[in-house]
Amino acid sequence: MLALAPYLNLAISGAVQGLVIALAALAISLCFAIARFPNAAIGDMMTFGAYVGVGGQALAAGSIVGGGIAAVLATTLVSVLTYLLVFRRLASKPLVASLIASLGIAFLMRSMLTFILGFDQQTLRVPVSRAMNFSGVRILPIDLWLGGLALLVLAATFLLLFATPLGRRMRAVAADMQLAQASGIRSGRVMIALWAVVGALSAAGGIMVGIKTVVTPDLGWDLLLPAFAAAVLGGLGSPVGAVVAGIGLGIVQELASPWVGFTYKIALGFVALIVVLLVRPEGLFGRPELVR
Amino acid sequence: MALLRVSRREWAALVGAAMIAAAAPAWAQDVYRVGALNPVTGAGSTYGSGMQKSIYAAVAEVNAAGGAGGRRFEALAEDTQTSPEPAVLAAKKLIEVNKASAILGTWSSSVSLAIQPLTQGSNTILMHTSSAPTLFSQNVRNLGWGFQSGSKYNGRAMNAAVKNEGFKRPAIMAFNNDAAVGNVNAFKSAYEAEGGKIVASVVYEPKRTSYRSELEKVVAANPDVIALSGYLPDTTIILREAYELGVNAKFIIPGWAAGPQLLQALGPEVSEGVLVYESVPDANSAAFKRYSEAYQKALGSSGEDNVFAAQAYDMVISLALAMEKAGPGSDNLAIAKEIRTVSSPDGQKVTSFAEGKKLLQAGQKINYEGASGPLDFDEDGNAVAIFAVSAITKGKYVRSYVLN
Repeated sequence: MLALAPYLNLAISGAVQGLVIALAALAISLCFAIARFPNAAIGDMMTFGAYVGVGGQALAAGSIVGGGIAAVLATTLVSVLTYLLVFRRLASKPLVASLIASLGIAFLMRSMLTFILGFDQQTLRVPVSRAMNFSGVRILPIDLWLGGLALLVLAATFLLLFATPLGRRMRAVAADMQLAQASGIRSGRVMIALWAVVGALSAAGGIMVGIKTVVTPDLGWDLLLPAFAAAVLGGLGSPVGAVVAGIGLGIVQELASPWVGFTYKIALGFVALIVVLLVRPEGLFGRPELVR
Repeated sequence: MALLRVSRREWAALVGAAMIAAAAPAWAQDVYRVGALNPVTGAGSTYGSGMQKSIYAAVAEVNAAGGAGGRRFEALAEDTQTSPEPAVLAAKKLIEVNKASAILGTWSSSVSLAIQPLTQGSNTILMHTSSAPTLFSQNVRNLGWGFQSGSKYNGRAMNAAVKNEGFKRPAIMAFNNDAAVGNVNAFKSAYEAEGGKIVASVVYEPKRTSYRSELEKVVAANPDVIALSGYLPDTTIILREAYELGVNAKFIIPGWAAGPQLLQALGPEVSEGVLVYESVPDANSAAFKRYSEAYQKALGSSGEDNVFAAQAYDMVISLALAMEKAGPGSDNLAIAKEIRTVSSPDGQKVTSFAEGKKLLQAGQKINYEGASGPLDFDEDGNAVAIFAVSAITKGKYVRSYVLN
């Protein structure tokens, strides 16, 4: 047990790091499945959520739940707005138009946050508590809370996707937009629902990262690359894949650190990504027909 | 001949240009342009605005005293965004478009290192507040001047603090860049030169969501103190995780990673007992009081909180005194050579530009004692600062002692 403890600690650390990006990866994957483009604004949507969380917490007399609810509401609204004002108009254009537009939205959001609030780091306050120690294996209470929160959000998303009529329609649009429309599905409503879910997931992800680290204007942008890696590794368009790959990448990185060191563990995640894509180009859980 | 055919419009432009050129000397003496290239946004934003305002205040002071070496100063403000790429673009603009002869007040080593080739290639003077060793080892023609103590001195300060506190098993954690790694390496060589041994050492990457694995590796060696060399965000995360994991070792961190935001983020319980080493201005000196007054006026807060602004202020004064010493019409290389001599310990002590200018005109040797410190530059062009150690006690920084 003793010899195993350091590795278990590494695995736990990796799982938690993976979990915080899993929600962003899920948002990217969903967006790709249904709106059919890689949305680079999701990182800055997370940042926005984290900042609303900081403001909401201050207004809600220090309640992190209040901050979280404010973040989800505001980010959902902004996400739907980006669809109505920008992405809806670009839907008939090639994929690259939406991708570039999402980059533009990302820069715009970050610049506005910086302009209004500055670069100073902000904090989402949660009570700090000591780790629980099980013969050398340490578990942080905050990680349990974050893990619980992530599972809750994931469960809600999957319930929506797989157990509600709306989710069925979303999946129908993802499978074939024209066929779905021909079958009488009003794709406009489905898209609004999708962008609301993407916003809510981004906000929850932003809050989790903000609690674990500090809130700065670069918070989400810095996580975009690992989140994209997880989404691609899991198979773009596969919600389960995004989450499993996010956590898996985190664990692989940390477990490799005794051998490759703390600098190259990051590269290792991408090596894993390349290897998987060479062997299985559609990703771990992807189906080839999802990406036409 | 067709060769010299000039249209009417071109004549008008020519005449206009000639008139402007002829008019210029009537309203201005020669101008020496300095670029105030500071971290107004980004990780250094806590300091950047204060640095820029202090440069402007010092420029106004020099001009009020009649300029330096027959030239009036003109400052141009730019933002590095605390990031090398925008900083390089801004430096290029300052040098090539604005014809700035000196760039003052770059913060963070990654920024100063990125600019150094540009300034050296154009004989521009670069005065910075960065500590990366290569800034000094690659310094040529006296063009680079470091007003913040470099890695060598930071390492010595850490060593002195660790000795003073009686620690026996120090470990090292450093942010992966030239300056932070340089600082802990300097600490390591100073500590091990005296027969000690560093028990563990980790270099960590920026922008991670957790540093738990890095911490656990260091803690496995059972250190009694961890010399943590990083910046504010990563330091915040590491100190919080160390508390959560129940790490018993104390931490010693540099002043630029501390500040009020660290206390605010961590709260009194988590931050209790963290040691902070930093270079400090001599708050009793006359130059500091003059700087501090200008700072208070421009920013409405105490100049004591921003040692980098004091350094930025001194950059202008040192440069102006060197220009005065080098004499009218001197080029940058001649000016750069005098920066050390106007504040060398064997001259007569002065604490302002006006005072120094008067003595220089009387042909005397001077020693400018600045707002940020005595400004005695070493052979690499690095000012040797005064260091002090504080301990965070009940959510406040409490100054413990000054290091020698």
